[in-house]
Amino acid sequence: MVAKWILIGLVVIAVIAGAALAAFPQDPNLDPTRQHGDISTAFGSPILGNPDAPLTIVEFGDYQCHQCYNWFHNTKPAITRDYIDTGKANLVFVDLAILGKDSLTAAQATHCANDQEKYWEYHDFLYNSQNPTIDGGWASRENLVGFASELGLDVDLFKSCLESNKYSDRVRSNTNEGKSNGVAGTPGFFIVNSDGQSDLISGAQPYIVFKHILDDMI
Amino acid sequence: MQTIKMVFSNPRYLLLACALFSSMLVGLLILSEFIFLEPYVVSHLPPGTELGFSLIVLLCLLSALVIPMNIYRINILKSSKQKMGGGIFGSFVGAIAGACSCGPVGFAVISTFGSVGATATAFLTNYETPIRVVAIGILVVSYFTTVRSLKIECRLGD
Repeated sequence: MVAKWILIGLVVIAVIAGAALAAFPQDPNLDPTRQHGDISTAFGSPILGNPDAPLTIVEFGDYQCHQCYNWFHNTKPAITRDYIDTGKANLVFVDLAILGKDSLTAAQATHCANDQEKYWEYHDFLYNSQNPTIDGGWASRENLVGFASELGLDVDLFKSCLESNKYSDRVRSNTNEGKSNGVAGTPGFFIVNSDGQSDLISGAQPYIVFKHILDDMI
Repeated sequence: MQTIKMVFSNPRYLLLACALFSSMLVGLLILSEFIFLEPYVVSHLPPGTELGFSLIVLLCLLSALVIPMNIYRINILKSSKQKMGGGIFGSFVGAIAGACSCGPVGFAVISTFGSVGATATAFLTNYETPIRVVAIGILVVSYFTTVRSLKIECRLGD
């Protein structure tokens, strides 16, 4: 009788594990327990910068969001120079793909690029290629494949990844993570210290605001 | 110019214009992320957003000019309220143009109305500048209509 229940339990565990693998089967380097403060960043980007940095900037963003573009071009370079490159902070990007259908595809494309270990190169390429028109075609599937080609990725591999939609659940999970943590617009940032304490910064705020908070939390 | 002097020599209308201008300006600058209130009060003008900023200032100036003039016309000359529609409509259209995008308003609209909200938000974001230019056009037309109307009605009232 006991053996029967153990067998049923094992079958249930196997089914759940199978379903989880079907949903997120892709990234062998995925750490499903990765957490920054109250935020699960398991399905977010790889960590940019020193993984052991005392502070983490968790950015929730959409590739079609113009304010994210503004932050990428006007604030991020100074943060990279003063905090990420110096090992004081690292950065994780988590998709909050809400603005249009191409937002979801673009976010999936970054994870496909991550399969070839070019997540950040592809991420940067998207923000450098952004056109202010939402769903206007700049992030169409054809263009996303073209960007992969320009970055020297294996285009066939990238294309099959994108066409399989295998990262759509991952992007949706990231979007839900943002919503459940109270992010009410893109970009939204959490600065998290090693004790798990965090501060929220909403919007494409200037460097001085980040500097103030980062310096206070170090 | 004489019509403007006539309306704004009354401090009530001058005060109304100042209140309209400042509240609209601050509100729109917050919505368009030129001003942030949290965690610190800070303002900034990122490169490439100068046109959007200028259109907001122009829209607020025109709204603060046209709406009090229309209220004056209705109050003093007991004119029809119908003619005020252009000013209010122009201000409203111009105001909502930039309110969506990826900020909290757009996020709330998308979360509440789903794909319909996303389509509406995308439209307002994609055509933000043309919508604001049209709104400014409506306000300019409304200004000249009001000035002409005030001149005629004041002459008749003499």
